[in-house]
Amino acid sequence: MTVTPSRPVEPPRQAEPAERSPGRKDRRGDALVAALFVSPAMLAFTVFVIVPALGGLVLAFFEWDLFGTPVFVGLDNLARLFTDPAMWQALGVTALFVVLGVIPTTLVGFVLAVVVNVNMPGIGAWRVLYFTPMIASAAVSAIIWVNLYNGRSGLVNQFLALFGVDGPNWLADPTWALPALVLMMIWGALPIVIILYLAGLQRVPEDIYAAASLDGAGRWRQLWSMTWPNVWGTTVLVAVLQAVSFVSGSFEVALIMTDGGPLGTTQSLALYSYKVAFTERDIGYGSALSLFQLALIIGVVLLSRAIVRFRKERG
Amino acid sequence: MSTRLYLSLRYALVVVCGLVLAFPLLFMVSGSLKSAREISAFPQPLLPETPVWQNFVDAWDYLTPQVIGNTFVFSLGIVGLQLLISLPAAFALAKIPFRWSAVILATLVVPMFVPANLTLIPLFVVTFQLGWLNSFAGLIIPMAAQCAFAILLFRQFFVTLPPGLIDAARIDGAGWLRVLVSIALPLARPALATFCSISFLTAWNMYIWPQVVAPNPEHRVINVALAPLAGGENSVLSPAIGLAGAVLAMIPVLIVFIALQKWYIKGVVGTGLE
Repeated sequence: MTVTPSRPVEPPRQAEPAERSPGRKDRRGDALVAALFVSPAMLAFTVFVIVPALGGLVLAFFEWDLFGTPVFVGLDNLARLFTDPAMWQALGVTALFVVLGVIPTTLVGFVLAVVVNVNMPGIGAWRVLYFTPMIASAAVSAIIWVNLYNGRSGLVNQFLALFGVDGPNWLADPTWALPALVLMMIWGALPIVIILYLAGLQRVPEDIYAAASLDGAGRWRQLWSMTWPNVWGTTVLVAVLQAVSFVSGSFEVALIMTDGGPLGTTQSLALYSYKVAFTERDIGYGSALSLFQLALIIGVVLLSRAIVRFRKERG
Repeated sequence: MSTRLYLSLRYALVVVCGLVLAFPLLFMVSGSLKSAREISAFPQPLLPETPVWQNFVDAWDYLTPQVIGNTFVFSLGIVGLQLLISLPAAFALAKIPFRWSAVILATLVVPMFVPANLTLIPLFVVTFQLGWLNSFAGLIIPMAAQCAFAILLFRQFFVTLPPGLIDAARIDGAGWLRVLVSIALPLARPALATFCSISFLTAWNMYIWPQVVAPNPEHRVINVALAPLAGGENSVLSPAIGLAGAVLAMIPVLIVFIALQKWYIKGVVGTGLE
């Protein structure tokens, strides 16, 4: 398929005389046209983005099962958050997803981006292999990895058996289910990280390497002492994006593969709030859980910005 | 180390890492052709002895043409509706001077940073109140309305159009709609390719929203139909049939991705850098 980026355009010629030329009168016409152009999108945006965003805040203060009349309960739902053991477990699970997921994804993604950042015949075709995990949906990935993780016939355990390791029944094991989901999510997240780092690497000046080779620095050392500091901006971006996507991505994957189990060990905050709202039909408490997550995310983003600023001031 | 040796080692590294990353997908293809006995054998053979094409027939029967049709209606509906509402809005925000454009832009940007799962409950409540559960309207319209990305992407492109081009047409008497359709749109093909690939892939791969809003068989989409097959050993079907279904689900996105890869990646990088 070919798409030509641009082609010459003939200005449409039409016999309609000068009375429509730009002028004072025309401005009001412009405003009217602009309003017409903007209003369908703004109507949709208001009903399905702004109203839900504000509605989420309001719902957290009500008790509602979706069918009866909502009852105002003040801060009850928010207070319940802190005395709910399932919430604390889910908070811990969410933190584990982020901690176990973000750091390996970022480091491995960086190294792989450097690996494919090379000009050789056929590199375009090979890069497609690197990018394809990105287009597998959560359900497709789940079907693949459930087979790979199968305790008996799964290829993961067969691979481990080559080294004499007797692998667990991954997804049914309270200790190993979460790391198994994290590994699968890292696999799905790597392509985007590689793409972002590839873009970042284009901006690293070539000449710094020439000086380094003269100094006799090995390629592995160059990688960490020259390339890595030069893509720091990309790293911060990748880490923030990945933190958010591990918080929300773990929800979809765990819902499909483990339903939060075994024993709640893969039930993140997002999944817990989903279950409270849609299985127990407790809309108010589910909304409170979402609100709590939003507060956490804002906290993490502010913290990361503070860290960036701190580093800038120092160096 | 000689340069030549380095280059061949480097090439080998590129290939090996690529194969490791693609392994789960290669397994999906190979597994989709295994017999029920092979897929659950210990040790499991890497490749089927003879490809079992029947798995694809069974997967097709399980998914049903209706589900596949629904998924196309759902995905293309979202892409089409987003184009319809975002293009004029983006054009007006970029090229027609009017008082509210700054306010609208600011409003669009803010919610982009809130992950979708946090507004899932209230979005569901709104859709429920509209009486749109188990309908294509409920599936498509609330998702198409998440159009901030589309508007900002197209606006960014329209802003770069030279003002002279548009002024000339305006002086010739062309109305704004005509300027949009016959001047701006033909030039916007790169932005259109970026948007359509990202929007189609996102919509096709959606699971949570269709699962929540329209789980009934008449409106079921492919990922909702596939998800129960990831139950592993609990499933009645052979896991190989599940893998065949996964292959079927990936074919449309793979075609779109390979055809529009360059523009898709540009979009991913662009959103990341904003």
